[in-house]
Order: sequence, then structure tokens, then C-alpha cells
Amino acid sequence: MSDTASRSATAAPQMLADALLRTVAGTTALLRVTGTNANTDQSQLGLVATTFAEVVVSPAVLRKLRPGYVEGGQSRWEILVSATGVQQQVDALDLDSAKSLFAMTLAVNVGGQDYLIESIAANEAMGQVYLYRLLVREAGTEAV
Amino acid sequence: MQNAKDSFYVALRTRLATVNPERTILLRAAVRPGILVEEAEAPFSQLPTDVFVLRWTAMGLEQDLPSSLAAMECEVLYATLGSQSFGGMDRGRALSAMDEELAAILSPYWTAKFNYTTTPATELQTNVFWDEPVFEPLTTVRDRLTRSARVTVYAYQEIGE
Repeated sequence: MSDTASRSATAAPQMLADALLRTVAGTTALLRVTGTNANTDQSQLGLVATTFAEVVVSPAVLRKLRPGYVEGGQSRWEILVSATGVQQQVDALDLDSAKSLFAMTLAVNVGGQDYLIESIAANEAMGQVYLYRLLVREAGTEAV
Repeated sequence: MQNAKDSFYVALRTRLATVNPERTILLRAAVRPGILVEEAEAPFSQLPTDVFVLRWTAMGLEQDLPSSLAAMECEVLYATLGSQSFGGMDRGRALSAMDEELAAILSPYWTAKFNYTTTPATELQTNVFWDEPVFEPLTTVRDRLTRSARVTVYAYQEIGE
């Protein structure tokens, strides 16, 4: 059933989320996306270095998830990213949605460390996304 | 050996563009035929659906010949969720279509060997050839159907390779 409540959508949840992210030492996350590349045999075979561009989103907070010991398992992290920061870049890049932006992201850099996105979740209030939660794992230096 | 791997991929990619031009993938800001070499792309958290992924695994070398013969095993992985318009209920048919496409692009079982490090690519003197594919049983994880096929690819090592 659709929500037909007559309440005005405000930016309050987004503003609150942004304020909370900033007050807990919010930082900047760099989404590494591919730049314009020639679609040649060489680029498909790993012979030509791909050019990258970095999309800056902030505020963002990186937190380590509670570890469950797994033999040989990697640490898992969660990056909380402001929905307004993401939306600004979605508009600037003329993309359809935040989903498109995350789909073209090869890695996320926070504090000089690269992370690979495992999954993405969005927190919503009154039909508006106010926070994206990226479940990530550390990337080796060879990953990007 | 790298030339053989490269030539195998390019042959399959070119054939796929003919067999099913609709099967494409948007990857690294470019639309290309729906086949890729896993080790030549950024790591995936989950393999993309409705495309063929080439993964090179085992390798052997027969040196008791005038020219060394390399045998490399290629695992071709593919998965599908079906189409959204059918609510995913056509996923079995979609996987069958991919089975048939893979069988089609693997035939004929040879291609010329090229060196792609030069521009344009230079043709070498020998061919790359391979066995018939061995299709593995289907794997079902919720609505995701996955299959892999193993192909052993052979190539003679030429002087200078």
C-alpha cells in the first residue's frame, strides 16, 4: 500500500545525518571511477592502463564492523556516506541515480586506503535517502 | 602463452558479437560484447550476470617436442537472474541461451595466434586450438543460476614468445 500521508517532505533527516557524520569526525571518501578510455583490444586485455577519476563525497565515516573470527578472513568495514554529498555528485556527473554512481565505482579511498564495495544499503526517512552504508573490504595495492 | 590467452579471448569476443550482438556489458565506461577476462578487470564482489567471464586456472607445458606445447585450462563462468519483465521466471531459458551461445562461439575450435602487445596486432605463425567444452552442473543460489564450462586451450610456443 502506498503512503499517502499528507506531510511535507523536508530535508531534516538529511541535515541531521550530515550533522551527525560531521560531529563524529566525518571525513572525505574518494570514489574511484573509470575515466574516458578507448575501448580497444589492448584495454580489454590489461595491456593499457585505465585512467581513473576520483569523485569526492563527504561527510563520510569509516567504521570497523564487529569482527567474527574466520580463518584467513579479511576485516570488514562500513562506510557511512551522506546522501546529500552523494546526490551532489550524481547531479554534477549527470547520472541517473546514486546506484549508477556506485555501480561505476571500482574502489573507495578513505584515508589513503582503498576499499572494495561488497554491498550497498540506503537508509530512508519519509521516502528520502539520508545515508548510504557501503559494506567494504580492504583492497590490496594491486586492486586498482 | 599470454598471446594464446589473448587470442582465445579476442576470438570468442568477436564471435559473440556475431552470434548475439545484443549481449553486451557496460564496463569501464565502454559498451563491449558480453565477455571479459576476469584477471584483466578490477576485482568483482560478485561476478556480473548475463556475461561470460573467462578465468584462467591450470597450466601444463609439454617440452619433449620440437616446440613446447602449452596447455592452459580456461574456466568460462556465466550466471543469470532471468529478465525483470518476466520476474526472473525465464532464468532457466536465459541460461540455456547462454549454454548455446558458448557452444557456438567456441566452434571452430581454433583461431590464429596474434601478438596484441603491438599496434596493430601482429599475426604469429601458429594457431591456438582447444578441446570441446566440459559443462559443469548448474549451481542455484536463490534466483541466481550459475554454470561453468572448462576448456583446455593449447598453443605452441614460438621463438621470441
